[in-house]
Amino acid sequence: MAAEDDGKEYRWETGYEKTWEAIKEDDDGLLDGSVAEIIQKAKRKRMLERKSNARLGMMRHIFVVIDLSECMADQDLKPTRQICTIKLLNAFIEEFFDQNPISQMGIIVMKNKRAEKVSDLTGTAKKHIKALHQVESMPCGGEPSLQNALEMAMRSLKMLPSHASREILIILGSLTTCDPGDINQTINELKEHVIQCSLISLAGEVHICKALAKATGGQFGVVLDDAHFKDLLLLHVEPPPAAAKLEPALIKMGFPHHVTGAVGQSKDAPMLAICMCHLDVPSECKLSAGGYFCPQCNSKYCELPVECKACGLTLASAPHLARSYHHLFPVAPFAELPFNAGDKNDPCYSCQRSYSASKDKNIYKCGRCLQIFCVDCDIFVHETLHMCPGCASHPSTTSQLK
Amino acid sequence: MDTSEDLTESSLLVVVLDVGLSRATTLRNDPALAGQVLEAVIAFSNAHMMMRLKNLLALVACDTETTEWIYPESKADMSDLRQQDGQHELFNELERTVRRKIAQLLKRSAGSNSKGESMLSGALGRALCYVHRMQQEERQLNARVLVVTANGQSVSQYMNFMNVFFTAQKQNVLIDVCCLGPESSLLQQGCDITGGQYFRPPQPQGLLQYLLWVFLPEPLLRNKLALPPRVKVDYRAACFCHRELVDIGFVCSVCLSIVCKFSPICTTCHTLFKTPGTLPIKPKRKKAKLV
Ligand SMILES: [Zn+2]
Ligand SMILES: [Zn+2]
Ligand SMILES: [Zn+2]
Ligand SMILES: [Zn+2]
Ligand SMILES: [Zn+2]
Repeated sequence: MAAEDDGKEYRWETGYEKTWEAIKEDDDGLLDGSVAEIIQKAKRKRMLERKSNARLGMMRHIFVVIDLSECMADQDLKPTRQICTIKLLNAFIEEFFDQNPISQMGIIVMKNKRAEKVSDLTGTAKKHIKALHQVESMPCGGEPSLQNALEMAMRSLKMLPSHASREILIILGSLTTCDPGDINQTINELKEHVIQCSLISLAGEVHICKALAKATGGQFGVVLDDAHFKDLLLLHVEPPPAAAKLEPALIKMGFPHHVTGAVGQSKDAPMLAICMCHLDVPSECKLSAGGYFCPQCNSKYCELPVECKACGLTLASAPHLARSYHHLFPVAPFAELPFNAGDKNDPCYSCQRSYSASKDKNIYKCGRCLQIFCVDCDIFVHETLHMCPGCASHPSTTSQLK
Repeated sequence: MDTSEDLTESSLLVVVLDVGLSRATTLRNDPALAGQVLEAVIAFSNAHMMMRLKNLLALVACDTETTEWIYPESKADMSDLRQQDGQHELFNELERTVRRKIAQLLKRSAGSNSKGESMLSGALGRALCYVHRMQQEERQLNARVLVVTANGQSVSQYMNFMNVFFTAQKQNVLIDVCCLGPESSLLQQGCDITGGQYFRPPQPQGLLQYLLWVFLPEPLLRNKLALPPRVKVDYRAACFCHRELVDIGFVCSVCLSIVCKFSPICTTCHTLFKTPGTLPIKPKRKKAKLV
């Protein structure tokens, strides 16, 4: 219904034309642009836009809403929209928890005009991966209801303490939504609770989606192909700038010792105990001596991070937190320099690859250590390693803390 | 037969050698040891290359001033090193290159009398970039890193090390550590995070035996061997204010800095906090929405 507003019923059939338009526009007059090149450019652009020492809301709470309506069986993404979405979400979840270690996620699916929660808000990536596995084999059917899914996510998210950032990410294949009431009222409520809603559309622009994203401060994107889909998803791995309305807080947190329970540790070897994390799944429960013990109430867990079920303390390990420090101390963008095949060039400082005129249009220079890197290392350093190997190789530039 | 599989599979070993060995107090009274360590590393590298036809090796060195790419040299990289009858030449070339470039590095750093930390995290960063490249060029590549060092306690490089460990974990790269100096809890964490083996030889003089025994077997094989047991790893957090290990601390929700006592302002990001302790949860009941 919302999509009918702008009067173009067969919008998604013209998807291919739109793809080419996008390429022409993005490429500044170059006609031979490939999708891969667009993506690489977008990556670098995003890298440059990232501000250092930006204040970010790191305790993120996000609901991922997956469309499982009839149209998700379409094969414009291979093998089907549903399977492609699940595959990419698997990678997204790993990446998300990697970069947002003390955050929580939940998953909701939309089908037959209803919303169904397949995994509740939790910080354990494994549970979501398992839930996704089930979603992969669910049959698609009916129409989605955006409003029902939003209401369901909002019911959980609005209960969270005010320092938590709240987000909903919707992957929508359908161009229509079948809602029981006025969705605009829901949008106003989402706004009121500072819940940011972003949408990724597999089909085309839908008016109400754009309006929802705009009103709540989220992002809206239409995928061009699966690589672009992945790129749009991974945008949400990066924490959103903390909304001004969120109240900052000092959160009490426990850092448990890890006891391996290996043979030979007689003195302070712990007793055999059942972990709290597997209490609800008796078949997976392991009776063992090793584990992490809550410093406040001594409950045992086999994995961190976790919220202690007995006393409510958030348990994490120092490396879990350290994993997020790169948001505070990001590597400054490297300068892009043209590569001249004629010049005598050393190979890439870190991967040792020799530059070639065919592959390397540009080379990249770190402004701090002045070392030169290839394009692959430039992206690897900024997206994965979060440390400049050149800077870390000299005593005067090795520390990020000043 | 098995051979077809063996040919497609290759295993990359990147050795990160800290040449600042003589600075470690435990090794200072034995000046010949640094030479022995180099011999052992070269012999170990050859042993790795002999394990399988398609095995690959790289070597990065570091000292307190810099890191240096030792092997393979980028020019040699371009010519085909895997000639069927070239195995002996390959070993020769490896040995000559390593000796020559290590000597150059030592000569350069001989002048400076720095007592600082070794630039280990930089060398590891270069190693992982190389692994990243090789993993993209070759599909079926197992890769691991072996660190041979005597200086593993590096406070100023703490974040670099963490970035390196998590990157390695993501790349599925094991980090093994052969520690010749005092125990290093930081490197122990790295081994624990990446699934590698941490080992501190009781007698550094016998390094080659230990290397061959503990670090030569590929990860898949290791489960079947009785290797030194995993140590207990201390994962407590150090507070930003006193650099002391804490069981329970306070974490800034904006920047994740850890402090040991409640304070109304974050020292890292200067955020002001309102209430101490847990936050009240007040479920606001909205009026019924849909009619
Ligand atoms: Zn507890
Ligand atoms: Zn490179
Ligand atoms: Zn640099
Ligand atoms: Zn303190
Ligand atoms: Zn802070």
